[in-house]
Amino acid sequence: MPLSLDLANLPDADVAALARQGRESAYRELVRRYERPVFSLIYRMVHDRETAEDLAQDTFIKVLNHIDRYLPEFKFSSWLFKIANNVTIDFLRKRQLKTVSIEGSPHAATRADAEATSFDVRSTNESPLEEIESRELGSAIEQAIAGLRPEYRACILLRHVEGRSYEEIAATLDLPLGTVKTYIHRARHALRDALGHLRE
Amino acid sequence: MDRHLLPEEIDQLLDGEVGFGTAPLKAHVRACPGCSAELESARALVRELEHLPHFAPSLEFTNQVMAQVHVFVPWHVALLDMVRGWAPQSRAGRTVAWAWAGTMAIVFSAAAVFALTRLDTIVFAVGLGLERLRAMGVGVLSDATTMLFGDTAAHVVSQAGTIGAALALLVLLVATALAARGLHAVAALPRRR
Repeated sequence: MPLSLDLANLPDADVAALARQGRESAYRELVRRYERPVFSLIYRMVHDRETAEDLAQDTFIKVLNHIDRYLPEFKFSSWLFKIANNVTIDFLRKRQLKTVSIEGSPHAATRADAEATSFDVRSTNESPLEEIESRELGSAIEQAIAGLRPEYRACILLRHVEGRSYEEIAATLDLPLGTVKTYIHRARHALRDALGHLRE
Repeated sequence: MDRHLLPEEIDQLLDGEVGFGTAPLKAHVRACPGCSAELESARALVRELEHLPHFAPSLEFTNQVMAQVHVFVPWHVALLDMVRGWAPQSRAGRTVAWAWAGTMAIVFSAAAVFALTRLDTIVFAVGLGLERLRAMGVGVLSDATTMLFGDTAAHVVSQAGTIGAALALLVLLVATALAARGLHAVAALPRRR
């Protein structure tokens, strides 16, 4: 074993094994590697920075306090994203957080209904945090993603932002493979519809 | 193929699936401007999704997480980490440290071999040292006995040798313990009333 541990170049399973041995530097390395992907996934799910940070913290605390339960034959990141998704879905269920498209309600029957239920993201009374949020999540594609159902959103983000395979997503979200394919197909279709006016 | 591609067939091409089934789909896309445009639009969306950035949490995120994580560090890991902490980080520093450790190992090995060849001298010296230590102990004990019980008791102890001195010490300790216990009991009497 080398005198100084070069954690940055070790695979996740090895870093997790070192964390299980009680090395704090390995815990920190795991947080460093995944804080951005996990935070981004949750942030795009809940659309609120503070909440996303709290949920991301909960995720890491749960994972790191139970690192002894991690099975090295599975990908560490899949386990982490699974916990992150569960934490987020629990939160969304508890708070009944509605995902509202800024283009208006998806159930609106007419254009007038859609306009009546739409809102302007760039309000003049934004707090600094809201300003950051609208800057980060204000692009057309982020708004389109925000309008998706949470389960479609989780699938499409894991597939195209995190680059996960269909099988990994199915394992991460505890869904049948066919369901994952259907959700991703529907999400792509919905996104293309939502962004269609920009492409014409 | 005499029809346009189905949405799931577009998805197959989008995901880069390979196999016999995809060859006719690709051929159709090459020939059909509508399906080609459809596929290109889907690819553009995927490209856009793949370029979405990762957002960073606050700078204190890691510390806030670690404040609530219970890290149990076993003693052997702590020891190993301490040794790692002491070890020089640079290659040159490590070379010097290894050279120093090697030199010391050779010096101590030579000293050990030398001592083994002079084993009789070492045994004699150790025996002499132990005898002096014993004589010093007996002297201290004899002085203490003289001071506490008089010359006669000291004479008896010195006549009895090491075993007698040990017995006398034991008796002294037991007597002291009993006396202390008795005094404690006497001191506690007024409080009981």
